[in-house]
Amino acid sequence: MNKFKKFFYSQKAAPYVFVLPFIISFLLFWIYPLCSTITMSFQDIKPTGTEWVGISNFQKLLKDKIFHTAIKNSFQYMVLTLVLLIPFPMFFAVLMDSRLVKAKGFWKACLYVPALTSVVISGTLFRLMFSEYPTGQMNVITTALGLGTFKWLKMKATGLGALLLVACWRWTGVNMLYFISGLKAIDTAMYEAADIDGATAWQKFRYVTIPLLKPTTVYVLTISVYAGLAMFMESYMLWAGPDSPNNIGLTIVGYLYKRGITKNQLGYGSAVGIVLLVIALAINIVQLVVNGTLGKEEK
Amino acid sequence: MKKKVLATLMTAAMLATTLVGCGGGDAGSAPAADGGAAEEAPAADAGSDDAAAADDGAAAEEAPAEDAAAAEEEIPTATFGDPNGTHMEMWTFVEIHGQHYGNMVEKWNEQNPDRTIEITCTTYPYADMHTKLLTSLNAGTGAPDICDVEIGQFPNVVAGLDTWLVPQNDAAAPYLDTMVPARMAVYSGSDGNNYGIPYHVGATVMYYNMAALEEAGLSQADVDAVVTWDDYAALGQKYLDAIGNPEDKHWTSVDTAGCDWLWIAMAEYGEDWTGGMGGTANVQLDSVKKMLTMQQEWVNSGLAMVSPDGHVDLEAGFQNILDHNIVSFPKAMWYMSRFTNYMPEEKGNWYIAKCPVFEAGQKCSVGIGGTGTVVTQQAVDKDLASEFLCWAKMSEEGEQLIWDNLGFDVCNTVLWNDDAFAHDENNQYNQFFRNFPYDVLYGIKDDIGTVYTTSISPTINEQMCNVTLNDVLENGVDVEEALQAAQDVVDLEQ
Amino acid sequence: MAETTSVKGEETMGMRTKRNILTVFATALFAVLSFLIVYPLFAGLIASFRPGTELIRRGLSINLDFSTMTLNNYTYLFGNNVDGHKYFMWYKNSLVLMLVTVFLTLLVCYIVAYGLTMYNYPLKNFLFFLVIATMMVPFEILILPLYKEMINLKLVDTIWGVMLPGICGASTIFFFRQYMSGLPKDLLDAGRIDGATEYGICFKIMMPITKPAFAAMAILCAMGSWNNVLWPMLVYRSAEKFTLPIGLNTLLTPYGNNYDVLIAGSMFGILPVFIIFLCFQRYFIEGMTAGAVKG
Repeated sequence: MNKFKKFFYSQKAAPYVFVLPFIISFLLFWIYPLCSTITMSFQDIKPTGTEWVGISNFQKLLKDKIFHTAIKNSFQYMVLTLVLLIPFPMFFAVLMDSRLVKAKGFWKACLYVPALTSVVISGTLFRLMFSEYPTGQMNVITTALGLGTFKWLKMKATGLGALLLVACWRWTGVNMLYFISGLKAIDTAMYEAADIDGATAWQKFRYVTIPLLKPTTVYVLTISVYAGLAMFMESYMLWAGPDSPNNIGLTIVGYLYKRGITKNQLGYGSAVGIVLLVIALAINIVQLVVNGTLGKEEK
Repeated sequence: MKKKVLATLMTAAMLATTLVGCGGGDAGSAPAADGGAAEEAPAADAGSDDAAAADDGAAAEEAPAEDAAAAEEEIPTATFGDPNGTHMEMWTFVEIHGQHYGNMVEKWNEQNPDRTIEITCTTYPYADMHTKLLTSLNAGTGAPDICDVEIGQFPNVVAGLDTWLVPQNDAAAPYLDTMVPARMAVYSGSDGNNYGIPYHVGATVMYYNMAALEEAGLSQADVDAVVTWDDYAALGQKYLDAIGNPEDKHWTSVDTAGCDWLWIAMAEYGEDWTGGMGGTANVQLDSVKKMLTMQQEWVNSGLAMVSPDGHVDLEAGFQNILDHNIVSFPKAMWYMSRFTNYMPEEKGNWYIAKCPVFEAGQKCSVGIGGTGTVVTQQAVDKDLASEFLCWAKMSEEGEQLIWDNLGFDVCNTVLWNDDAFAHDENNQYNQFFRNFPYDVLYGIKDDIGTVYTTSISPTINEQMCNVTLNDVLENGVDVEEALQAAQDVVDLEQ
Repeated sequence: MAETTSVKGEETMGMRTKRNILTVFATALFAVLSFLIVYPLFAGLIASFRPGTELIRRGLSINLDFSTMTLNNYTYLFGNNVDGHKYFMWYKNSLVLMLVTVFLTLLVCYIVAYGLTMYNYPLKNFLFFLVIATMMVPFEILILPLYKEMINLKLVDTIWGVMLPGICGASTIFFFRQYMSGLPKDLLDAGRIDGATEYGICFKIMMPITKPAFAAMAILCAMGSWNNVLWPMLVYRSAEKFTLPIGLNTLLTPYGNNYDVLIAGSMFGILPVFIIFLCFQRYFIEGMTAGAVKG
């Protein structure tokens, strides 16, 4: 017993004791579910019993048009959030970092507020704003512009637009903060040197800011790709449930939820999860390769 | 009450600590702010202790009796019956369903003093309740003794057959001779056993806003003369012409998020897209095509509008009816309770008639919607639960309460022309409508068709409500094309 | 960011005018942007002072007619009635969940990060790689098996079921590790010489000087827990355990959305996070952006 105590207090054992919670959590809440999602994707799990069905879940996914819609929607959403949520926040951050803006703290706080609200609240607010009644906020605006009223959440383009608006609303401020902190880390000497060389503001932005901001950009890109692909609650709240007209708001995770949870088809739902996993890993590998080669070139 | 005081005080404590930290942070002294933040959690904990102590004081100030009652109200549960009897848990997604069992359990205990029951009814949101039921049946623990299951969700639950649910065949036997057989059949499993006990037939009828029609110069005789859908559309056109064809007024509204109209069409032609129990599903039916084509024309001509938010049994639908944007629509009998609950100002305006048909002589109604109540294998006393359930929902006493309180068209056909039952002037539905609802029901007694709800039904329903109906009615997609796309999706699942 | 070398006096009038115009434009840009972003919340706030029936008829739209605004929704929310009780039950559940989650997550992540930073041992880098690896799989993929696991472990419908899967937050460990790598390791040896055990050093010597990192992570973690929906929605079954977002979501039913409570309750639900944010803005930003700078 004493021996054990001595070992427990030794410098050799201590680090393992410290990391033990992680190891347990890793095995229980990561490795195990990951493995079982892989297993389940080859099974048909019915209340009356579980059956091995080989790759038939995946064969069905190949033919499942609704799943294809979900993948398409998730990708469209992801790509468009990248287009909207990287350049604009970067531009805003550069402005914020300059001396041109007054009352910076106040604007920063305003832009950040949406990130504090739960999706349930923001989704409900936006659903009401995009209501198809003539008195909904968006219809009030379009009517004032002479465009008439729209059924915003029933059409593909406006439905996607509403989702993107929620995304921009929530994340513009956050991404701007990321870029601001990235800018803070850039050595001012770089700009001074550029000034001496007589660089214009654009040149400084193009040849100093952008390259030196790369780690931040990569970080924002990575989290945006993940958040975009795994988006679900935003659509769930905007359409008050996992269903939307013509499946315009259906995402990969939404489909996983619908099959796995609502319809209790754990096997098929898991297969959907595996597809998402493969996509996420593929993007990771691509990103690692691209960053790796770019990193080498710079050296 | 207790919990609320506690919550308020905890918030206050939390806010207080954060505000204290605030002062330090604003002063610009970083270490002070650090301290404030790190101590936040323990400080709030201490606050909760204070809150617990303060709580007793607060409760004492209020009437203690009221306190207990309020605490019970916090969760949407209600317990009825004899505390010494067999205890049962019951889940539902409609609060007044729970009250029905509450009423029935009191009567049961009077009649069966040796086998008394205490029942706790919990009301959950619709989707939550079904998800919870499925998971607890899956887990083999945590399920209630008795549970309401909405017909659309029934296939998911009945998939567990007698490993999950208790067959009701024996307990239901004494009542079967008077029940509508089709209604019992829709709640049976693939093994042929009956697992769910119905509340109602849900026969579809046509609701007319007679007051609005009269203003437009139409009479009840005009409505009674409607036999076919063509007659119906012609009458609608007459109404719209009479009020000057305003852009926002319509004869009826068609649904993009509900299949009721299509069910009516199928019943009229005696078709069923599920193919019945064990059949092959086929949505490309003539009846469905006819109905969709007709509705598409109506929308184009302005005779019909698309129901706001997809169907009339929603808040937006009630508003649409209240605004008199539409003056007629087909819906099941149980929609009567929506009038009394959500549109009380419409009292005396509405008239109930049978639905039009495509060709004279067809059936004109179909049983729609419904809630089958099941007894789970996790029930404490399966026999007692089954016996009580069947009695509460199918005995004459039970049916009487179902009609009076829930406003359903009961499945016991003998009662339909029972004068005391059907023409009771004290009944709120008899008072609300211009005619006696059961007279209409009795008139279509032999014309009520059946569309089954099978394991493929959720898929069909989802595809119709998410895609097909939207395509046809909102986006003007060709009916054949839309149904072909739907069939492809359905085929993938069977 | 320019004019580092130039002296104020040397600026020409033209430069100054141009700068002033740019300042006006840039500030105006942020003013407009902030307006657009705050607008929906503002509209919600206004709506919370109106009867819910107006929302059905009007949708969410600003109508600054003060004569129709009342405090009724709030007096109802705080009043002695079923909805008020339900609301504060959710509120309390959210608070409890938040406090417990913050406390345990920080504690666990701190000691794990400590073990990954302060010692040298063969598996160290491998373990750190595993921490990073968990970040590579979106949590949503794991919800089905995790959900099943929770049922098997009988953790469904418990606060542990909600909390445990996220307790070893990779990003939190990452942040602590980064913070601690900047701390002097001499303190460990000094502590050992003073006769402190390894665990004593961890909790008594190192923990106090890691306070700023705790502050930053506490705020982020609190916000995450307060706003978390998907996982608690799956794990919690009993209505009396629902957290605020799940509870608010139950007010949306087909037969009538309880907008009175929903909107007023939503607005009041933002309050705690909002106040914490205003007070600890600095830590918020530190915590959020830690990963972004180093990449």
